[in-house]
Amino acid sequence: MATISFDLVSPENLIFNDDVGTIIVPGKDGDLGILPGHSQVMSSLRPGRVMIYSEDKNLVKSFFVSGGFAEINPEKCIVLAESVVELNSLDKSSIEKEIEELGGKDSKESEEQLSIAKAKLEAITVSFYDKI
Amino acid sequence: MPSLKDIKTQINSVGSTKKITSAMKMVAASKLRRSQEKAEAARPYSSRLEEMLSSLASSAASGEGIIKLLTGTGNDQNYIVVPVSADRGLCGGFNSSINRETFKLVKSLEGNGKKVQLMPVGKKSRDFFNRVMKDQIIESFVDLNVSSTGYESALNISNKLQELYFEGKFDKCVLVFNKFKSAISQEVTQQQLIPLDVSNSEKEEEKENSSNAIYDYEPDEETILKDLLPKNVSIQIFKVLLESDAGEQGARMAAMDNATRNAGEMIDSLTLKYNRTRQAFITKELIEIISGAESI
Repeated sequence: MATISFDLVSPENLIFNDDVGTIIVPGKDGDLGILPGHSQVMSSLRPGRVMIYSEDKNLVKSFFVSGGFAEINPEKCIVLAESVVELNSLDKSSIEKEIEELGGKDSKESEEQLSIAKAKLEAITVSFYDKI
Repeated sequence: MPSLKDIKTQINSVGSTKKITSAMKMVAASKLRRSQEKAEAARPYSSRLEEMLSSLASSAASGEGIIKLLTGTGNDQNYIVVPVSADRGLCGGFNSSINRETFKLVKSLEGNGKKVQLMPVGKKSRDFFNRVMKDQIIESFVDLNVSSTGYESALNISNKLQELYFEGKFDKCVLVFNKFKSAISQEVTQQQLIPLDVSNSEKEEEKENSSNAIYDYEPDEETILKDLLPKNVSIQIFKVLLESDAGEQGARMAAMDNATRNAGEMIDSLTLKYNRTRQAFITKELIEIISGAESI
């Protein structure tokens, strides 16, 4: 099976760069599964999980991104994300605390942070996509 | 004529200055390496963002709202100038060249009948413009520490700028900063941030149009552009902050290297003077003894 080159880039550095089998990214209108030979797509992302799989469909790495963009062509996929954290470095209790704190505030900014925090919580609790 | 003791004290004090400057040079050199790494690490993101933007720019003919970041307000009466300097001194002409260039730019814009406001970044330019054009400063940012706080610091500046832009406070925004050319040379550069200067990305666009332009857009071009443009502003600022930080360390390293060398030369000449004085003193004493012995 062929591979597709995948770059995960945050403003501060290049986080992931390798040839992989499959990637799932959280597109704005729904998750996108990207395999080698995908058609050319440019999509903005919602907060959610970026899952990276090897050629034999084993999960290699999973990240949480708070939004960004993906540029996909048949040989290459680039994800530009504003903040990227590795999924298993997230801590459930601290996120719950964050949500609680943000829930009290009432501004546009905290609303945005709240939705990101909620997405984070969802990302670590759900387990679909762990196996494909 | 200074006594031997005076010269000795002077040598000692120059010696300790030399120690300080050479230590500062070493610190700047190691910081420079780190800043340079940071600046390089940030490059893939900004270059890819630019690529995306240039392939999208064509779809924005004119528009309201966020698209204005690309197309402009249609006016060019009100300017905002953002000089990016360091927080600390002792780095040669690094800060003063920024201030001088900004001052010149402001004066020439005002000469053309434009209204100019300032938003200095870094203590050195804030203090300077507080003295000379206090009433034109609308906001200033100091103690950014871009190498430790990272992207957040750029985000603050960018949010403030966009807020002012959409309130209609200014039509054009120009950054003045030191572009990092090499460890020993920086170049004062002006960059138009808002509206986005697509003159150099237009070329890329043509390239891209000829090779592979058929993208599917999700959700659609306009929505992506609306997300992309504000991010681009932040990223450009982030890039500039990192470049300026690396430039500052480079400038400080060069300045401290010079200072160390000058101190060394000064010590050499003072030591020579010390030895001459000492010899003259001995000779004088000898003459006194001999002439004393002769007279007996």
